[in-house]
Amino acid sequence: MVNIFVDGIEVSVDESKNLIDALKEINIDVPHFCYHPKLEVVGMCRICLIETGMTKIDPATKAPVLDENGKPVVMWNPKLQAGCNTAITPGMHINVASDKVKKAREGVMEFLLINHPLDCPVCDKSGECSLQNYSFSVGHETTRYKEVKRNIPQEKIGTNLLINHNRCILCYRCVRFDRDIVGVHDLEMQARGNDTVIAYTPPNGAGSGLLDHNYQGALADICPVGALLNENILFRSRVWWYEQNQSICHGCSTLCNVTTNIKNNEIYRYMPPENPEKNGYFICDKGRFSTSDFSRDRLFSYLLKGHASKSKDVLPQIAERVQLAHNILVIGGTTESQEDLAGIQEATTTWERLGKAVKWEYRTLDYMWNNEWDVQIDFLLMKDQRPNSAGVRALVSGLANRNEYESAVKAADLIFVVNEFAAPYAYRTDNFEELKQNPLYRLLEQNNLWDRVIVLGTHANSATASALSAFPVLAFPEKAGTFIDKKGMARKSQVSLKAPQGLPSSAQVLAALNRYVEQNAAVTV
Amino acid sequence: MATKTIKVSEKYAWKWYEKFYFMSISLGMFVTLKHFIKSAFLRQQVTVSYPEERKPLSSRFRGLHRHKRDEEGRERCTACYCCQWVCPADAIHIEAAAVKPEEQHLYREDKYAKVFNVDLLRCIFCGLCEEACPKGAIYLDGGIPMPDDSRDRLILTKEMMMEPTGGKIIGERL
Repeated sequence: MVNIFVDGIEVSVDESKNLIDALKEINIDVPHFCYHPKLEVVGMCRICLIETGMTKIDPATKAPVLDENGKPVVMWNPKLQAGCNTAITPGMHINVASDKVKKAREGVMEFLLINHPLDCPVCDKSGECSLQNYSFSVGHETTRYKEVKRNIPQEKIGTNLLINHNRCILCYRCVRFDRDIVGVHDLEMQARGNDTVIAYTPPNGAGSGLLDHNYQGALADICPVGALLNENILFRSRVWWYEQNQSICHGCSTLCNVTTNIKNNEIYRYMPPENPEKNGYFICDKGRFSTSDFSRDRLFSYLLKGHASKSKDVLPQIAERVQLAHNILVIGGTTESQEDLAGIQEATTTWERLGKAVKWEYRTLDYMWNNEWDVQIDFLLMKDQRPNSAGVRALVSGLANRNEYESAVKAADLIFVVNEFAAPYAYRTDNFEELKQNPLYRLLEQNNLWDRVIVLGTHANSATASALSAFPVLAFPEKAGTFIDKKGMARKSQVSLKAPQGLPSSAQVLAALNRYVEQNAAVTV
Repeated sequence: MATKTIKVSEKYAWKWYEKFYFMSISLGMFVTLKHFIKSAFLRQQVTVSYPEERKPLSSRFRGLHRHKRDEEGRERCTACYCCQWVCPADAIHIEAAAVKPEEQHLYREDKYAKVFNVDLLRCIFCGLCEEACPKGAIYLDGGIPMPDDSRDRLILTKEMMMEPTGGKIIGERL
């Protein structure tokens, strides 16, 4: 920590940090567009201009020169400096709010807005846009620009990414993000002067395909204006309508901290957390948009052979089946929280006490049998796309190998499938092809075992329709719980969506089933 | 002029000539006769036979919602949701969509209101939507809302509200 003078007041700042970050820590906001804590400094936007100076030192005595009031004389640099590119030196003087700085910022803002279409009513970024915020706080309310604005049509450059060149202020953030964080060199600045645009430059030459990586949402997010937009949420809402909750992303075992964006009890997207310095600046597209179709085809009623029914009718019938069964197999659990896993384990011990042979297997997919739990797809996303696979692995020993699992499935009298066919919220009825690829689905289909399968599911799909019975359970955003991430850390998720009243979690529905089972057992004894 | 004080605690004693009501009745009949002569012979009647005949409304009258187009006949509304957001009665429902390239001549921006419904059963005609609109697209200048016996007809759709062409320039009322 060193002492510097900000607007004449002595403050202590962390000199290892960038000046903008260091001042932000002591609640002094320096406007910035191109600067991002995770990206290299380029100093392109010039909105962070500050006045810098040093105390005047008498060369003979090496002592500060004092003015008539006894204060040290400051030698101000004649030109303004870019705040993001200024190193913190002990004893430096900076002005972030002097008239000269304010005038310079107003001028820079006027330049940035020369070609900006000012179409905030239409722009999806409006409400979370740095340009909008700083235009209101440090800009000027009128423009002197009378000429015709540059107009370049909007382009689709990514599978989920649009670029609106008119809104772009050429801050270079997207180029640096793609190059330094994602590691692809496919965005670049083209042309010069007024014609400069951000262009997609694919490796195989212009026009060959679209930008297709897992961080297009992050690109739109770090864009300080509305130049980069995500197509799948385009015009679906306005940002100030979103309710925000702190939660964790259920998309993979990394369990990133996220802020949820909810409107009308529907999740629109996940956003990076409110305190990014602690919790990470970026989240991947897979997580960000994982809940975009979450509210479609939710399973809310108990199903008996595909027909909607009531729990009072379904549970006693299934309890009888449990009563008659000898081998019970529980499949799944990688999507359930620690609390639910404990409940499922309690249910299995109940069945064991009643003399059943109970097995529990959590591995259903190929990568699970190959033990690829720690395989990273990119710097955030894991191959293991279940939120609590680490927790279930610590709790359940499982079966020896895949052959044993398949023979156990064939031998079981009753199979409880916990959320396997709806996880991670991708297998709905309209996505039947994807569901058919599921190894467990194929196994049950080929051996015609549906009459002994009970699906605990969040979404209605062909599995819940063809199973003996399906129990609706709470989905990830609707319940609080503890999850174990890939590093073995326990993470708490919060309730972000309101579930219909009475919808149980998987632990609760098994407990309700076992109350009937135990009643029946007491009667028969 | 000296005022006549009547003590209400005591019962007013009518004078003998007041008991005939002659003075009051003739005063009232004079007013009636005056207006009868005015409207019957001098054509100075004040009532109109509504709804066939209507009196001009004030330029600030807030009535039915009207959607405006710009000088080139394009829809002004860009589905910014400002009116829906400001509406205190929650009467406006908008669904936005992106404009297809072949329809671009119909809209000013690349976003338009696919659905724009105003629920007159909820609307309180406060005019906040008109004030909030940054594009001058919605005005409450469509006259007096008429009652209806169908709920559907009281939910205005964009087609019902859209004026054929032209329209007022932004900020101008009437």
